[in-house]
Amino acid sequence: MTRKIRTNMIRYIVLLVLTVACLIPIVTIVLTATKSRADFFSGLGLFELPQQLYWANFTTALFDANILQYMWNSLLISIVKVPIGILVAALAAFAITRLQIKFPRGFLIYFLIGMMVPFQVALVPLNGFFANHGLINSFWAVTYVYIAFGLPFAILVLRGFFNSIPRDIDEAAYIDGCTKLRLFFLVIFPLAKPAVASLFILDFLATWNEYILASVLIRDRSRQLVTAGLMNFVGQYGTDFGLLAAGVLIAVIPVMIVYIILQKHFVEGMAGAVKG
Amino acid sequence: MNKGRVSPYLFLVPAFLIYTSVIIYPVFNSIWVSLHSWSGMDAMVFIGLENFRVLFFEDNVFWTALRNNLTWMILTLLFMVSASLGLALLLSANYVGRTFFRGVFYFPFVLSGILVGIIWRWMYHVNFGFFNEFLTLIGLGDFTQTWLGDPDGALFYVFIAALWRGVGAPMILFIAGLQAIPKDILESAEIDGAGKIKTFFSIKLPLLKETFIIVLATQIIGSMGVFDIIVSTTDGGPGNATQVLATYMVQQTFSFNNMGMGAALSTIMLLIMMIVIVPYILFTTKER
Repeated sequence: MTRKIRTNMIRYIVLLVLTVACLIPIVTIVLTATKSRADFFSGLGLFELPQQLYWANFTTALFDANILQYMWNSLLISIVKVPIGILVAALAAFAITRLQIKFPRGFLIYFLIGMMVPFQVALVPLNGFFANHGLINSFWAVTYVYIAFGLPFAILVLRGFFNSIPRDIDEAAYIDGCTKLRLFFLVIFPLAKPAVASLFILDFLATWNEYILASVLIRDRSRQLVTAGLMNFVGQYGTDFGLLAAGVLIAVIPVMIVYIILQKHFVEGMAGAVKG
Repeated sequence: MNKGRVSPYLFLVPAFLIYTSVIIYPVFNSIWVSLHSWSGMDAMVFIGLENFRVLFFEDNVFWTALRNNLTWMILTLLFMVSASLGLALLLSANYVGRTFFRGVFYFPFVLSGILVGIIWRWMYHVNFGFFNEFLTLIGLGDFTQTWLGDPDGALFYVFIAALWRGVGAPMILFIAGLQAIPKDILESAEIDGAGKIKTFFSIKLPLLKETFIIVLATQIIGSMGVFDIIVSTTDGGPGNATQVLATYMVQQTFSFNNMGMGAALSTIMLLIMMIVIVPYILFTTKER
């Protein structure tokens, strides 16, 4: 018994040390955000607190530096992209797993090879096409591109889940006079709720965090998405460390809150999604 | 039996059109552009494989970038995979607080690579950053570094940031894999007198095979495409010391207006990724 207690002690000590190490970057940012530019150049150390917290960092970052606007733009795109993307992927996964089509595996492979296409490959052709058709800065065009890049993973996940639903259900539904569309919308899609929920979170995150396409396809400052906006922000306020840290915190906090509320879904979604 | 008149192929149409137009068409377009000299403005001039010849035989930066991608991949396979497996072993047992710890280690993964890069660039700042301040604080001021300014170490220091961000994702996969191992197998191993280490190597590790395939495939793909965290920390510098294929591709395309060269670089990335992904896809789509 004492041996078990000792292993437990060691385990907790190791975990606590790792937790502290893991939180250091976040703590550093919080400490930095409290300081003004003058604090830094007057020799105030990183680990010391200033006499007065410099709240102006936060208001400047939120409003003057447009971070609130960038986050709003990303939110708009994500809440349109994610549901449409999942629906489109689910229709395809439904056909591949449960309908009588030729070469279901061929279609599946066709969709999955998209996983090996880096965003960079699509960059030049898309940039050219968008520029020629006046689509640069268009949220709709970016949303369309994001939907496409989300499809391979979503189809992989949903296909795994649809395969695990017993086929007798389809037969029973058809005998009752159900059409394919009704089978999909009223039976199969609702049954896939757990997979859809985890997919929703992962897909939202991927959209929110995407950088290269966002930075190339949207040039107008006020329409920029949060990642590209942050890069601009860093370029613009290069040495005002307190302000930069405040901007970073503002971008971290909403993600952190959602994460804490939905933590179970994040963690299980990740495992469930890949297992299918 | 009435299954409705809608053709089953119609269900595939939206996905097929969107996917083909945004991903498949640009792949071929990109390969086509890679055979040309093109600034993006003037007319394209067909030059065959000239871009590739220049990259392979005359361009040192290309080789640096390729080598950095491979170094990154090796670092990932060595440290990311073993660290995440270690954490998973530590966190798969049943005890108070494990959900909390999992949550902590997974959290950085929900932040974007850009955000993580910005945070770590500050951590590494020469004058005010965490590392140099901390070393000075504990009396090890002699060990302060230029960190990201050091051409020999920069890539490794950026990798540490990537490790901080990424370790939670494979950790979760390993935990799921470990929990799927039937309890009675582990119990009978214990009864037979197998120690912890023996159990790990002869039971757990072999049963994690599928998890390993997923983890290795995703990590290798990630390593070949690494981009965001480099752009937001060093942007390929100092010099070209941390240049990778993806950053060099963007630089050729948008800084040097050399579309053909950029397209050639993305074609090379695509070919390297195919080597990993094609077997992986064939494996996952296998009918069981």
